[in-house]
Amino acid sequence: MFYIDFGEDSVVVIKGRLDAAQAPTAQMFLDKITGQCVVDLGELEYISSAGLGVLLRTHKRMIADGLGLKLVNVNSHVNDIFTYSGFDKLFDIEPAGGAE
Amino acid sequence: MKISREFSRSFDELKDIVAFAHEFFEKQDIDPSLRYIVDLCVEELFVNMVSYNTETSSNIRIDMSPHEHGIEVSLTDFDVDRFDPRDVKPVDIDAPLESRMAGGLGLYLVLKMADSIHYEYRNRTSKITFIADRK
Repeated sequence: MFYIDFGEDSVVVIKGRLDAAQAPTAQMFLDKITGQCVVDLGELEYISSAGLGVLLRTHKRMIADGLGLKLVNVNSHVNDIFTYSGFDKLFDIEPAGGAE
Repeated sequence: MKISREFSRSFDELKDIVAFAHEFFEKQDIDPSLRYIVDLCVEELFVNMVSYNTETSSNIRIDMSPHEHGIEVSLTDFDVDRFDPRDVKPVDIDAPLESRMAGGLGLYLVLKMADSIHYEYRNRTSKITFIADRK
């Protein structure tokens, strides 16, 4: 199962499994967004390097305009992948349960 | 008990590969905390084979068997050139955003997360085996 859409307050909600099969769908959705973007990953069960690539490409595009992606409600599995990948140094990440 | 299944060279197979792995976890009572690692390593290796071994149309075979406190998984690709994932240059995860690229993370994550990786190449058959064990 994979889901990406706008939730409340224009927050982008991503749920399910963001793998290589779903990465193009996620990239097409995020490519349409301009300005500040908050992404709720509270129900993201799984992300692979293909999904990481989607987030990184989008973040780099937005940073060029002085903004960027903020990733919120990040669970421990996904947060481990972000840490292994060094994404914790590149993104504003808020773990599930609130900001540290 | 070892199980094997072949998958065609398409990313659309990923959902069936996940189902195959999860069924094996349940039947063999493998520690579910290893599922994320196995899903990720299998996807990254499978995607790498599909993306770079483009001169073959053979299916990719995935074998799974219990291993001590975890699981052993092999991916076998037929009629391909040699490619040992252990030779891949490490990703600089401390590099600044402007020099980070979207590609290259997959095999890095496999090398980071699997407990061990073994590579065999014989008669143009490439076999990558990894072990994920409960710590």
